[in-house]
Amino acid sequence: MLALSAVVMLACGGDTGVTPGKRIALLLPDTTVSNKVKAYFEANIQQVCANCSVLYSAAKTDAEQQAQATTAISGGASAIVLEPLHDATAAAIVTQAKAANIPVVSYDRLVLNAPDLSYYVSFDHAAVGGLLATSLLTAMGTKTNPTVVEINGEPSDPNTKSFKESALAVLKDKVKLGAQYDTPGGVPATARARMAVALASLNYKVDGVLAGNDVLAGAAIGAMRGRVRPWPPVAGQGAELTAIQRIVAGEQAMTLYSSTKAEAEAAAQVAYDLAFGITVPPSMGNGKTVNNGAGDIPAVLLTPVVVTKVNIESTVVADGFWTPDQICSSQFVSACAAVGIS
Amino acid sequence: MAPEEAPDLTAAPEAARAELPPEVVAQSLGEYVRAYAARIKGGESGVLPVVAAMVAIVLVFTAISPNHVFLSPGNLVNLFQQAAVFMVLAMAEGFALVLGEIDLSVGFVGAIGAAITVQLVQPTTTKWHWIPAIIAGLLACTVFGLIQGTLITRLRLPSFIVTLAGYLIANGIFLDILLLGPFSGYPNLLGQSDNLSVIYHLMWGIIDPTVSWIGAAVVVIAVGLLIWLSDSRRRKSGLVAPPASLSLIKIGLIAAVAIVVVAICNTNRANLGTLAGVPWVIPIVLGVLGAWTILLQRTKFGRYVYAIGGNAEAARRAGVNVALIRTIGFGLCSFTAGVAMLLYASLLGGMSNNVGGGQYVLYAVAAAVIGGTSLFGGRGKPLHGVLGGLVIAGIYNGLYLLPQLSSVEWQYIITGLVLLAAVVIDAVSRRGAASGSVTRT
Repeated sequence: MLALSAVVMLACGGDTGVTPGKRIALLLPDTTVSNKVKAYFEANIQQVCANCSVLYSAAKTDAEQQAQATTAISGGASAIVLEPLHDATAAAIVTQAKAANIPVVSYDRLVLNAPDLSYYVSFDHAAVGGLLATSLLTAMGTKTNPTVVEINGEPSDPNTKSFKESALAVLKDKVKLGAQYDTPGGVPATARARMAVALASLNYKVDGVLAGNDVLAGAAIGAMRGRVRPWPPVAGQGAELTAIQRIVAGEQAMTLYSSTKAEAEAAAQVAYDLAFGITVPPSMGNGKTVNNGAGDIPAVLLTPVVVTKVNIESTVVADGFWTPDQICSSQFVSACAAVGIS
Repeated sequence: MAPEEAPDLTAAPEAARAELPPEVVAQSLGEYVRAYAARIKGGESGVLPVVAAMVAIVLVFTAISPNHVFLSPGNLVNLFQQAAVFMVLAMAEGFALVLGEIDLSVGFVGAIGAAITVQLVQPTTTKWHWIPAIIAGLLACTVFGLIQGTLITRLRLPSFIVTLAGYLIANGIFLDILLLGPFSGYPNLLGQSDNLSVIYHLMWGIIDPTVSWIGAAVVVIAVGLLIWLSDSRRRKSGLVAPPASLSLIKIGLIAAVAIVVVAICNTNRANLGTLAGVPWVIPIVLGVLGAWTILLQRTKFGRYVYAIGGNAEAARRAGVNVALIRTIGFGLCSFTAGVAMLLYASLLGGMSNNVGGGQYVLYAVAAAVIGGTSLFGGRGKPLHGVLGGLVIAGIYNGLYLLPQLSSVEWQYIITGLVLLAAVVIDAVSRRGAASGSVTRT
C-alpha cells in the first residue's frame, strides 16, 4: 500500500509531496463490533493517506442507512464501504451512488441484485466447513475410520447448507459419520438434547465432533462431560470467548476466527484504491467473483484462521479481539498459566 | 388539551388586536408590519421560530461541515429528498393536531398503503399498473383512518388510545402484507419494469433542467395570479384585504424561492458526468401542500376543522357536524400518511420489515410542532409540517456529514431538544395569550 500511495503522489504531480485528501464513507449497522471495524478501518486509511478522512455512520434502520448513504454521496465521499442492513433496500443505495459515479464496496454481507456494485469484501463462507473438517482430521491423528458426530445450525440458513457441503467433501470416505443433525433455530438446548441421543446410540464412543459454530460446540461438550472417555477433539467456529476458554481448558480443540481486523483492513485497501481510481491489485482478490443475482462482483474472500491452544496469543489476543484478562477469568487462571497466556 | 379560554371581546382594543390576523386591522403596509409585530409580542409568533431555527441550522452546519459541504447544491437537493417523508407525514399528523387530537398510527398505517402498492406492481406476481396500485394503497390507508375516526367520534374514545391500538394492528397487517410475495426476501422497486420504475422515480426521478425552469415559471405565475386576483377582488368589494404592496411582496418572495430552488437543483451534482434537474419529489410535496392549504384555509370544511380544534363545544352549538368532520379528518390524516410512506418506499427503493413506524410518528408530531402547529388544537397549517420537516432533516443531514457526531445518539438528543424548544414556545405563547385575557377582566 505504501508503494501505491507513492505512485499516487507521483501521478498527482507531487508538487507538495502530499497525497490529496479524499473522503471515504464507512456505513455499518449499529452492532457491538461496529466500533472495532471503524477503528481498524480508520487506522489503515490514515496509514496510507494522512489527509484522507473516514465518514463513519452506524444505522439501526434501513431508512437511517439510506439517509447516511445519500448524505455521504452528496457530502463528497469518493468511495463508500457499505455493510447492508437489509437486502430489499441496500441495492437502491448502490444505484444512487452509481448515478453520482461513486464506487461501493459491499462489506461482510453481500448487497444482492445490484449490478453496479464495485467490490465485495468478506470471508470465504463456502470454505469454512472444509477448513474445519481438515483440521479436525489432523487433530484425530492416525486413527482409521474414526467416528465423527456432525452438528449443524438452522437448516434454512444458506451458511448451514454450504457448511455441510464443504465439510462432507473433506470427510467423505475418511470417517464414519456416527450421527449428523441440524439444529432448528440454532438453539443450544436442542443441540444438547440431540447430542445426548446420538451419544447413547453410539455407546458413548466418539472420536471427533464437528460443530457449525461455537454455541453448538458448547452444547455438545455439555452433553459429553463425564460420559465420554477418552475425550475427543471438538471443532467449532466463531472464536467466541467461551470457546477460547474451553480451548484453554482443553475441552475444545479448535475454533475458526474470522478476523475483524483483517476484514476491515482489506476493505480499507480496496476502498482506498477505488477512491483514487487505482486498479485493485489482482493479488488481493485472486480473480475471484461472487454472483449477487445481477452479475459477477469482484471479491476479496478472506480465509478464517484456525485457532488452537498454541496460537490464541498470536491471533485473537494480538488483534485485541479478546484480552488475556477476559480469557483468564477466575476458573481459567491456572489453565491459562499452563498454556502460557498472560 | 385543556379547553381554551375564549377571547374577551370587550377588552382593550390594543390587546384584542394581538389576537387578530394582521390583515384584518391593517390598511397599509406600515400598519401591517406594526400589527404583525404586535402579534409576535402577544405570543403569536407563527413561523418565525422555525425560520430562525432553519437559519441557525444552515449557519452552524455550513460553518462546521468539512469543506462547508452542507450548503453545496448536491447536499441541499439530497436534504430535500430526505425531508420529503417527514414533511408529508407531518402534514398528515397536522389534521389530527389541528383538530385537537393525535394520531399515533400514521407510520405503520402509511406503511400498509406503501406495502400494498409495492406488492401490487411487482412484475413477477400481481403485475398491476402503477395508477390502480397507488389508488389501492391510499384507499386502504383512508379506510383504516376512517375506522379509527369512527371509533373515536362515535364511541367517544380517546384518540391517543385508539390510534395506539391502530399502531399495533397496522404494524401486524403491514408485516403480513410484506410476506405475501412468493419471492425470497422483501419486495423492491429495482428491476426491468415500467411500473416499478415509476414508483422508484417518485423520489429519484429528475425533471430536465429546461423543463424545470418552464415548470417553475408556470407555477409562480399561476400562484401569483391567484393571490393577486383574490386579494384585489377582496379590496374592490370592500372586504378586509392586505394592501396591494403586500400582495406584491408575497408574489415576489414566491418567485425568489422558486428561482433559488430551481437554480440549486439545476447545478450538476455528480462526481463525474452530469446529474442535474429538479427531482420529482419537489412538485409532489408542493402538490400535497397546495391541496391541503386550499382545503384547510379556503373551504367550509377547513373552517370547521379549525373551529372544532379551537373549541369543539362552540362549533357543535354553531351547528357544525363535529363527529363527521373529525372522522373525515382522521381519514385525510391516514390518506396523507399513505402518500408519505409511498415516498418512503420510493426513497429506499423497496420495503423491508425494518420500518421505524414508531420513530416516524414522533418525527411527524415533532415536525408539525417545530413548524408552528399547536399541540393544543385549532392552530396550524400544512406549511408548518413542510418547514418542520426541513428542520428535522437538516439536523440529521448535518450530523451525518460530521465524522465526530454522526452517531445516532446525537441525532436523537438534538432532535429531542429542538422538539422540546418548540413545545415550550407553543405552550408559553398559549399561556401568554390566556393570561393576557385574564388580566384584562
